[in-house]
Amino acid sequence: MKYAKVYFDDVKVGDELPPVVKGPIQQIQLTRYAGASGDFNPIHQDDEFAKAAGMGGVFAHGMLSMGFVGQALTDWAGPAAVRKFGVRFAAIVRLKDVVTCRGRVLGKSSKDDVNLVDVEVWAENQRGEKVVTGRATVALPTRD
Amino acid sequence: MPTQINKGVIGKESPPFVLTVERGRIKEFARAIGDANPAYLDDRVGQASEWGDIIAPPTFLTTFRDGADSATFLKDLGTDISRVLHGEQEFEVFRPIRPGETFTCRSRVVDVYEKTGRSGPMAFVKRETVVTDATNEIVANIRHITVVRL
Repeated sequence: MKYAKVYFDDVKVGDELPPVVKGPIQQIQLTRYAGASGDFNPIHQDDEFAKAAGMGGVFAHGMLSMGFVGQALTDWAGPAAVRKFGVRFAAIVRLKDVVTCRGRVLGKSSKDDVNLVDVEVWAENQRGEKVVTGRATVALPTRD
Repeated sequence: MPTQINKGVIGKESPPFVLTVERGRIKEFARAIGDANPAYLDDRVGQASEWGDIIAPPTFLTTFRDGADSATFLKDLGTDISRVLHGEQEFEVFRPIRPGETFTCRSRVVDVYEKTGRSGPMAFVKRETVVTDATNEIVANIRHITVVRL
């Protein structure tokens, strides 16, 4: 079940999030993401511009990959569970790349009736190279 | 001749930017990511939820930008859009974002520092945006590192 509810009680350190696989990345998705996000940097749209900028051609918005990783988090923890989510953009995602988003539970803590789970997250391309690395904290419900 | 980055922007605050979240924008953002979660897309699911409406995906906060201001910002820095890359991004989220809400964003430059990486000299520009709602409660903090290839 895709949106099965995850309870704090059942989460263990080392648990892995169900992976989310995106792509192959197409130009149309970058154009659509530009419109949706408001990031119209031509480096993601115009191959000549991107080559002239020394980038070897267009590449995906880092924020699109962060959005993919965000989906891995919310598919697992719920759409409003994310309290903190930070990433570093480690490598560029090119057209035709397939991006797989993963995560692993690092720790659990409870404070003032809020139950938090720290997760290591990352996205890798089809060659297994990490394109995004980061961490997130999600709040989960308890069974009682 | 490498670009000279203007460190004088450190501490600079942008004019507060006010925006109202549109229902269609949330849905289009989710679709652009390819995220079909009904909590973002289905009004009926939203109404029946504990939030009473659809909510925005966590990274939707990236749309809280002032397009006019970002061009000015790059100019103030002494660079242009062909030289910048996104280095890091962090969201600290205190509650979900719903359609129709109006927010105020206050951004400032926290730091500018230079480093030499594998691909040559680079400047890192750290900015932070505080997002408040109509009752002046903080709903999110956004931290952003832009990398400028010098």
